[in-house]
Amino acid sequence: MKRSIPWRAFFLLVLLAISVQGCLGTGNNSNQNFKQVNTSNGQTLQVNTSDQALFKGKIYFTQGHVLLLIDGSRNVHTLTPRNQDVRDPAVSPDGKRIAFIVRYKYSSDLVYMPVQGGPVRILASGTGHFFQNNNNFTQDNYIWYAQPAWSENSSTLIFLSDLQKYYDWANYPYGDLGGDFDQSLFLDMQVFSVPLNNPPPRSVIENSGIVAYANFGDGGDRDPGYRPHHPYEIIYTHYTYDSSRSNQVIQLFMEDPTMIVKHPEKHYHPGDPGGGYDPGIAITPPNVQNLQPAFSPTGNSIAYIRRIDPTHMGLYVMPVPENITGDPNNKDVEQKALQPYKQSSLIVQGQFVSQPIWSPDGKQIAYLSYNNNTFDIWLANVSADAKTGAYKMQGNPVQLTSGGVDGDSRPFWAP
Amino acid sequence: MWARVGVSILLAILVLAASAGYYYYANFAAPVSNITGQTVTRVHDDNNPNQVRDTASTGNILSGRRINILLLGSDTDEKFQGGYLAQTDIVVTIDPTTKSVGMLSIPRDTWLNAADGKGMMKLDQVYFYGGPALSEATIHQDFGIYIDYYAWVGLNGFIKVINTAGGVDIDVLHPITDDLYPDDTGNSRNAYAYKRLYLAPGPQHLDGPTALEYVRSRHADLVGDFGRSARQQQVLNQLKTKLNNPDIIGKLSELAQDLNGYVKTDMQLTDVFKLMNLARTVDQNKINRLILDTNYSRVENLQTPSGTQSVVVLNCDKVRQKIAQMFNLGDNAVCNTGIGSSGTPTVTSVSQLSLSSNLSGEVNVNNNTWQTAKQLPKISTMSLNGGSKDLFGIRSLLDLMLLVVFESPAALQT
Repeated sequence: MKRSIPWRAFFLLVLLAISVQGCLGTGNNSNQNFKQVNTSNGQTLQVNTSDQALFKGKIYFTQGHVLLLIDGSRNVHTLTPRNQDVRDPAVSPDGKRIAFIVRYKYSSDLVYMPVQGGPVRILASGTGHFFQNNNNFTQDNYIWYAQPAWSENSSTLIFLSDLQKYYDWANYPYGDLGGDFDQSLFLDMQVFSVPLNNPPPRSVIENSGIVAYANFGDGGDRDPGYRPHHPYEIIYTHYTYDSSRSNQVIQLFMEDPTMIVKHPEKHYHPGDPGGGYDPGIAITPPNVQNLQPAFSPTGNSIAYIRRIDPTHMGLYVMPVPENITGDPNNKDVEQKALQPYKQSSLIVQGQFVSQPIWSPDGKQIAYLSYNNNTFDIWLANVSADAKTGAYKMQGNPVQLTSGGVDGDSRPFWAP
Repeated sequence: MWARVGVSILLAILVLAASAGYYYYANFAAPVSNITGQTVTRVHDDNNPNQVRDTASTGNILSGRRINILLLGSDTDEKFQGGYLAQTDIVVTIDPTTKSVGMLSIPRDTWLNAADGKGMMKLDQVYFYGGPALSEATIHQDFGIYIDYYAWVGLNGFIKVINTAGGVDIDVLHPITDDLYPDDTGNSRNAYAYKRLYLAPGPQHLDGPTALEYVRSRHADLVGDFGRSARQQQVLNQLKTKLNNPDIIGKLSELAQDLNGYVKTDMQLTDVFKLMNLARTVDQNKINRLILDTNYSRVENLQTPSGTQSVVVLNCDKVRQKIAQMFNLGDNAVCNTGIGSSGTPTVTSVSQLSLSSNLSGEVNVNNNTWQTAKQLPKISTMSLNGGSKDLFGIRSLLDLMLLVVFESPAALQT
């Protein structure tokens, strides 16, 4: 006897497959139309021109460390020459300039140029040379710069640098930190700021431009960014170790970027974990590795990446803790700062998920996902629940590029 | 007519067989014969205390008496036109009867008396001036350890293998910063031969040079070698996944060419196969490791005719005792590095020699291509520990390279 098709079960299975597919960030692109584009960088890139991959604005990214942008019509433009190693583009909020990093073998420069292209101006140069010190040890005065981010009024850039690698630990005013500190270079990247107009020489930035400290030898800071509509709040990823000094701790921190400059009397602890005044405040717990935060355009939510386990990463969205940067060493405030993290919602997960950025209208998040042995840009439509405010994904993520983009360069989404 | 057809078919078969034979010879036998079976002309007085290599009678490297293998890892920088320094100097000792394995790591900057009357120099310079023969003889003369075999790896080989595999895609665990990374695989303009590293954390694609930087940097972790090991495991996992992919068969000849010129050993291919099979299964916790670090040495600035040099001076009382245990040498263990009890050299320094005046860096290459060609099919039918086949012995040679680059058998067990 012929059995009837259990169509209800079949329908449920199809729905289940679609939803699992969405969670794994492996949306089906079989019916999508990828077109080959000429990027003039010697690599191949395909862009999804289907209606599923619609977006508004311009997405800046690098492939082969050449700066490219995709506009809303899915046309690709090459902005820098093939022989230049470019990373971490960031467009000013006034839409006039684009800052980025030009990298060389031993150093990098922080530069900017008009957003439509044109002459490149160096804001801070990392050039230097190798030399031998009095003890015949090889040293150098090259400097790295990375990940510039604009203030909302487009007047200031915060960025990462090892400008304080020759910090004078031997004369640290708040106690002897030991021989290791005295003799080793402070190579960890910290957050600094520089004004766009009349930028001072790097020796001045080194001392008066420090915004957020790193812990000595622990990995430094990453992913700095200003909170929209809150000029006195920034966010960054802070790499350190736990009290046993054997387990890596990676947390998101917020901070008042003017704290160090305005309150030098607070006895900060550059490089020294656990001592002195800490201008930063953790907004994620130490037992989970969270990184790469990105504020939503409203400044009320943060997209970030969580290392779920050794083979899975997740893109999450959490609310922003309010009123915590003014009193960051207060135990009650520290507890308060960790509460919104508990409201984090998972948007998408996969083997490698990274570099989330919000669309200017806050309705989409672009991120890098690893499929078919390449890192590519994917789009997720997101919306906030009217009652809880929790973000969730609408439909499935859609692959925007194919052929691979640079995973070590932070993309940017401009209006 | 049928005779003509038969002859034509026979000719076609012969042409196909000849083409296959030529392909096999050109792509596998020739490169592998350039890698294995090197002949080392022993330095005068570097005599085997056991007179005859046991393998001559048994044909098996892992049967009979204890064997000592010198692993040498070199930069392959273009600035060293006359030869290469050996930055990695490890003596592996294996007792086949007890299956015990020991690894002695001697710092590259160890200041010692080179054999054959070449004078005082750093250990890494010994290889430059006299290749594996002088390195072997110096280890024998200064420590009493007779070296049965050597294996040398140039780091550019690792880079080439990674690139052939298409690079590796990993989640860089944390920012990597290092101002003292050895700049020894490119055409450096830096006279002090250091390179600055800054690798962003997070998922990304690493090409060959960057992957090597990620796994080699010793200054990028607060937890030192533990952190380095974690990074190495990441890259090895990815590389092994790619090398285990069936698609890699199409790249075997390319991999053989990658290794050609960057891996050299006087072991035969079958010896390498057996040795790597042992390394894949040896219990990591039972390997007796000895690194002559600051517990066994001190760093000194030494005035030499060519200027001040930062060198490692061994504490011979401690070193001799440890070597005697590890190599079962008893009273034959020595530590004659040419440094007197006062800490001053007792032998004339050779440092006035120019780095371009390579004394005897060349190794006589045994013209054994046909011998190698005969070994390859045999190796291809033998199973690796774990069950898979080792086509043309390429996998074993790759593992030998990984053993030297990562300085640990753990690299083979990922």
